[in-house]
Amino acid sequence: MNPKTDELDVTIDPENAERGGTSPPDARGFRPPAATAAPASTPGPAGNEVGRVELKDLSAFYGSNHAVRGIDVTFEPNRVTAIIGPSGCGKSTMVRCVNRMHEEIPGARSEGQILLDGIDLKGPRVDVVAVRRAVGMVFQKPNPFPTMSVYDNVAAGLKLTGAPRKTIEAKVEDALKGAGLWDEVSDRLDSPGMGLSGGQQQRLCIARALAVDPEVLLMDEPCSSLDPIATLRIEELISQLKERVTIAIVTHNMQQAARVADTTAFMLNGDLVEVASTDKIFTNPDDERTEQYVSGKFG
Amino acid sequence: MEGQTRVEFRDTLANLEERGLDGLNLVITALDRVVESIQSSDIELAQIVVANDDVIDGRYLEVHQAILTLLATQAPVATDLRLIAALLHIMKNIERMGDQCVNIAKMIPLAGNDPPKDQRMVDNLTTMGEQVRSLITQARKAFHDRDVEAARDLVRQDDIVDNLNKECFRIALEVGDDPDMREWAMTMMLVSRAIERIGDNAVDIGEQVAFIVTGLFREFEDASHPGEDVNDIPG
Repeated sequence: MNPKTDELDVTIDPENAERGGTSPPDARGFRPPAATAAPASTPGPAGNEVGRVELKDLSAFYGSNHAVRGIDVTFEPNRVTAIIGPSGCGKSTMVRCVNRMHEEIPGARSEGQILLDGIDLKGPRVDVVAVRRAVGMVFQKPNPFPTMSVYDNVAAGLKLTGAPRKTIEAKVEDALKGAGLWDEVSDRLDSPGMGLSGGQQQRLCIARALAVDPEVLLMDEPCSSLDPIATLRIEELISQLKERVTIAIVTHNMQQAARVADTTAFMLNGDLVEVASTDKIFTNPDDERTEQYVSGKFG
Repeated sequence: MEGQTRVEFRDTLANLEERGLDGLNLVITALDRVVESIQSSDIELAQIVVANDDVIDGRYLEVHQAILTLLATQAPVATDLRLIAALLHIMKNIERMGDQCVNIAKMIPLAGNDPPKDQRMVDNLTTMGEQVRSLITQARKAFHDRDVEAARDLVRQDDIVDNLNKECFRIALEVGDDPDMREWAMTMMLVSRAIERIGDNAVDIGEQVAFIVTGLFREFEDASHPGEDVNDIPG
């Protein structure tokens, strides 16, 4: 294991470690790349409970604007959770808190806890780089690194870890296969990533996120700039990927939430109005506001 | 927040519900006519009922097709989706009620032009017809008003119909030895049975009211577990 890896690894404060019980903290936290080299391509057995994200009383602010108002929600492992709600309801802000991107905006801050498998991602000794490796993100618009080849786009994160070339090659292939892109690009790995179609670029971004073996994948409107066929391919991919990562997807497309998500959370004006099985949300929601929104009566 | 969105969809759905429930008015007309043709042995009137069943079948097809279009184009969810599922269900009930009226209408010629009649039987069937007519009206109103209590009350109303149906059986047993009279009475028992089935369909429509409102489907009265109180739908 190279020293750089250790540096990126999450340190857990002793208090949390004690509460955590028997297992050593590094086994429960974000797996260092060296440790995941072998099991990466072998998804855990059924009941693999790695990657549970719990938001506890999470609030997010832009200056004095209270954008997310004390919400509690859990993203279960091997499940897709969709977050729906009208524009400005705080859904993107909420997921951006999870990989600590929200705090990058000047004047922005968050309160409350975000636990990944029991570890507080906002803890004082947690390395933000490690958080972002454990919690990958895919954005609205495909954003491959413009100057890099297909291969380098996927390998970029791995190269930072200083992994050996052979390992990187294997992981790039695995990630591209995981993103359903390998068959389309295996013969042009050296061509520019920007040369791919929009849908392929988005899957390239998913491959890039997968390459570092995240436990959680956040997707913020991942299909909103794609055509219907590319959208359906991403949706199919999401159903496959949930076997290996926890997925939270922000979407404006309610039918997309209905198609891909196991659980759906409805947000309104920064509050979490209702979270329940997708089936329930779309057939018989409890809250009148959820009913109104999913039926398209406002929003 | 209270926007005027999906106005066209909501109008279409509301019109569809109205067209569907109006199918019950067609059933009431058919029922009134068959009861009248029993009273007066009016074979022509019975034949009109048979011919007019095409209107009820046409209404079924019309609403069914419009529902498919809404499902395909509007992706209805939540209460809208439950209403649409319930409409699909009750259209089948309405179509079946129309068919039962046809069954009755076709039995009237079997009894002949001027059959011997037992007035108690005719009165009993007339009362049944009135009671079922009232059930249908109540089911239509309960559906329109989303009134679960009125829908549940249909079970009680239907018990009256069931008792009248049993009474027809008793009267048939007592009509005497005249073969023509016995044949007529047997035919009237089948008529009674058909009217009773129309009442059951009205109760089914009531169950759909509870489904729209609560999201749960339970039979109000489970024929395979008679006497058990199944009116415990929460909400």
